[in-house]
Amino acid sequence: MTSDITPMTNSIEQRVIAIVASSTGLDVAAITPAATLQSLGVSSLDAIEIIFDIEEAFGVNLPDRTPDFDADTVGGLIEAVGEAMQGVGATP
Amino acid sequence: MRASVAITGMGAVSALGVGATALWEGLRDGRSGIAPLVHPRSAELRTTLAAQAHDYQPADHFDERLLAQLDRVSQFALVAAGEAIAQAGLAFDDAWAARAAVVIGTGAGGELSRDEQDRRIYAEKGQRMHPLAIIRAMASAPASQISMAHRITGPAFVVSSACASANHAMAQAVLMIRSGMVDVAIAGGSEACLSFGMIKAWEAMRVLTSDACRPFSLGRQGLVLGEGAGVFVLESLDHARARGATALAVIAGIGMSADAADIVAPSEHGEARAMSAALNDAGLRAQDIQYINAHGTGTKANDATETRAIRLALGSWAGEPLISSTKSAHGHALGASGALELVAVVGALRTGVVPPTLNFGGPDPECDLNLVVNESRRHRVLAALSHSFAFGGLNAVLAVTAADDAS
Repeated sequence: MTSDITPMTNSIEQRVIAIVASSTGLDVAAITPAATLQSLGVSSLDAIEIIFDIEEAFGVNLPDRTPDFDADTVGGLIEAVGEAMQGVGATP
Repeated sequence: MRASVAITGMGAVSALGVGATALWEGLRDGRSGIAPLVHPRSAELRTTLAAQAHDYQPADHFDERLLAQLDRVSQFALVAAGEAIAQAGLAFDDAWAARAAVVIGTGAGGELSRDEQDRRIYAEKGQRMHPLAIIRAMASAPASQISMAHRITGPAFVVSSACASANHAMAQAVLMIRSGMVDVAIAGGSEACLSFGMIKAWEAMRVLTSDACRPFSLGRQGLVLGEGAGVFVLESLDHARARGATALAVIAGIGMSADAADIVAPSEHGEARAMSAALNDAGLRAQDIQYINAHGTGTKANDATETRAIRLALGSWAGEPLISSTKSAHGHALGASGALELVAVVGALRTGVVPPTLNFGGPDPECDLNLVVNESRRHRVLAALSHSFAFGGLNAVLAVTAADDAS
């Protein structure tokens, strides 16, 4: 983990990864921000459930087409949550 | 020899107006019924677009007493059935009312009534449900209401297969006529699904677009929900001739299949099987098909998969038939879609004008078909396919041919 990650970002990252891990059944250690959802075996149906779990957990609404499930990474998902939280002025 | 099944009447309610003529002329002229969503809670929805039947006014068609027992889905079905039966010139007297069937497809049934009563009992903590809640909301109500309105006493039921419901319903009707069980069937689909809860549920699936419905186009982002009904009088050709009725078109073949694969992701193999089954059933070859009214929802996955299915089923002919998705104009009316689209197919067969896919923004290499885009095209059509491919991999395809005026 790099030192320039703030505790808040870190917390978002850990929580998003925990949600992806719970959906995929993978160990959290196997899920890196660089991993694409596709490479983790996430189907489009899994993906919309992950989005739902994230929206519920963070109390945010993610935009319709962010992230792009065909191409995007776990990191992209974490970023989208960060942006959505700034948008609503929420704190974790 | 098996009975040929003619269409002798059609009716519709859609975002393009009340009546099959309003729908056809709108499609032919490239008009869109898709507009900003009108809903009391639209501020709480991400959805900005819908194809709503704004021209439809319940009081124009029903007295208050009957309206009290009719969900919007039954209202649409009754109006469309009334138009179709009037065009066919039928009256179901006691002598042969049992020789007629009613088969209606719907995906969501009495959704608006259910939504309203749920709000009453759960959100508002009401202690009583409306006494007509059940008869409004039961999925089979549209078939019951049509049978009662026209005193049809033969087989009557509703078929549900999500977005393929109407085509599955018409396939059942065709089979009953062919078997000799009935002479006439009132068949089609109806949907009135634009409740707050249902729109929210579609939003959660992330398949709606707030841009524009642009099937098969580069940059397409999803579908636009719609509502409405299409209902047809199907009749054995012999029966139609014997009573001097005009055949508008012939349902020459039906094909049904299940992907048996995924609850959302479509399969080109399952879709192609339904297309091939419809062609075989009709005794048609791929090269007989001049037009395909595609399922064409406007989602990335559907349109690319449907393109592959057309290539699988039609082989080297796949680039030849004109192809359009009229959902870009009447929206995706779920269980009514196949019926609204059959109006487009009958129009193309009768007038030699193929309605377009609207909002086309450029070719997508994954959808390299002979698309009719943005404006209708003159083209003689003698045989066409109409595709419906539902969530859960339930596919139903109709093969429709021009009525032979000389016969």
